[in-house]
Amino acid sequence: MRKLFETGNAAITEGAVAAGCNLFAGYPITPATEIAENMSRRLPQTGGFYVQAEDETASLHICIGGALGGLKAMTATSGPGYVLFADPYGWAIGSEIPLVIVNSQRVGPISGITGAPGQGEFYLSRYPTHGGNFETIVLAPNSVQEAFSMTVEAFYLAERFRTPVTLLADQLVTDGWASLSLPENETELNEMGLKVVPRSIHPGPIFYPPTDEIDVPPVVLGQNTGGACSDWTPTEEGYDTEDIEDQMKHANRLIGKILSHRDLIDRHESIYMDDDPEIVLVSYGSPSRVIGSAVKRAREAGMSVGCIRLKSLWPFQDKLFERRAVYLAVELNVDGQLVREVARASRGEVHFLGKCGELPRVSELIEAVDCLCDGCELKSKKWETVVW
Amino acid sequence: MTRKEILISGFGGQGIVTAGRILGHASTLQGLSAAMLVSHGTETRGGYVRSQVVISEEAIDSPIVEKPNIFCAMSQAAYNRFFGISRNGVILYDPDLVKRIGPPSPTYLAIHAGAAARELGIPMSANMVMLGAILRTLGMISDECMKDAIAAISPRFTELNLMAFEAGYRT
Repeated sequence: MRKLFETGNAAITEGAVAAGCNLFAGYPITPATEIAENMSRRLPQTGGFYVQAEDETASLHICIGGALGGLKAMTATSGPGYVLFADPYGWAIGSEIPLVIVNSQRVGPISGITGAPGQGEFYLSRYPTHGGNFETIVLAPNSVQEAFSMTVEAFYLAERFRTPVTLLADQLVTDGWASLSLPENETELNEMGLKVVPRSIHPGPIFYPPTDEIDVPPVVLGQNTGGACSDWTPTEEGYDTEDIEDQMKHANRLIGKILSHRDLIDRHESIYMDDDPEIVLVSYGSPSRVIGSAVKRAREAGMSVGCIRLKSLWPFQDKLFERRAVYLAVELNVDGQLVREVARASRGEVHFLGKCGELPRVSELIEAVDCLCDGCELKSKKWETVVW
Repeated sequence: MTRKEILISGFGGQGIVTAGRILGHASTLQGLSAAMLVSHGTETRGGYVRSQVVISEEAIDSPIVEKPNIFCAMSQAAYNRFFGISRNGVILYDPDLVKRIGPPSPTYLAIHAGAAARELGIPMSANMVMLGAILRTLGMISDECMKDAIAAISPRFTELNLMAFEAGYRT
């Protein structure tokens, strides 16, 4: 195991290389530029390809092209680039093309502030394209070490589910530095609980089976009986169709393959949840780091509090919120996104604490928990937040 | 509770981030956990820069420095902004850059980092002098790990940086 002190961006690069990524196409944007820089150095060393695209739309189209040529492809961006993926993202979902998309969220809307963290793309990562009739897979790391491991897992899920997977990080995760352990071979990688699925090639002729099955190899153009992989609805054999019955079969497959195998996707971390705490803090990404500290201190002060940290965001893990409790969603936005899903999935009382561009402080969170323990409402004036 | 919070702040070009990287790398080599958040203005030189470093024997939850055990001020603006949260810690400052210091409640240590580095003929290494002073105050990390980290992060100027580091450690 190599011990380094590195950024999340460097960890994502090494995760991609460990997962066998051999194509990166991207366009620079803070705070994800370093991923492109690192990839341009690392991929030529491992026999892969680095392509500097003219914009984000082209980046993802190049990744699609590479994946259809049998490569394991990745691109990386921030919110302003992620939104430009809308068109090719849908193509990759519809034609079932495995690839990995990294989004290091910064504060928005639009260009916002480059060096400040945000969590504005929670819903965008669920609905990254038009048309509906699909589910997405989204993972969310909260540390440099997880930036590495979840990149490997994103490639793993992309191959098995034959779909694009978004790694939804944020500026503090990718720009932040931390101690990082890197495996030096596949045995060490496996010891970390990580697996690599090599690219396989579908022999044809049924490229799009009308079932929920996963582990169906993707189409590699020129290597089989000729799936078209165009952006139109495909028949089972991969030809364009205008038949509504084919459309229904395909839509059900896109949704069913993900929902019926969600045990492979669902990931979360519970802290102090064993004794049914009255108050449960919910978060993902870098705010969860501060929450970890806050919950420990609140417990020491005798408060009945625990926390749930989502490591996979979509499909949303409704079952985690079945217990009756007072939930407090903590996010890096002030419009409240995660909180809406918690409110939908839970049967309890739901509150929201949002910060825009910076992490909440431990003391601020403890004060909020203390207030909820006393049955008080969080007041926007007091908390510099919006109560949802 | 072994968690130690170190805040280093000044302006762009002083090596604030490099100092934090070396401290984090050395901690990692020592077998400790380290985390660092860097914030800066959009300018590359002359703008505001801050490195927040957390070192701990346990896994680190919050990477934010809220009450620094050590605050290293490399500009008046940095001092003015952060001395308030540093009242319970040790404040290291360069008297050539921080001319006005506030209430005597925290412990102040004047480190003539710029002057010492100029004296050695390596004015760019004032950050290494400060790093020496930080380590002297912090403990936790062996001399050997610190030297290995300096060599790893600045391979071209290892010798010179080690000289500056030792000068800071001796102050």
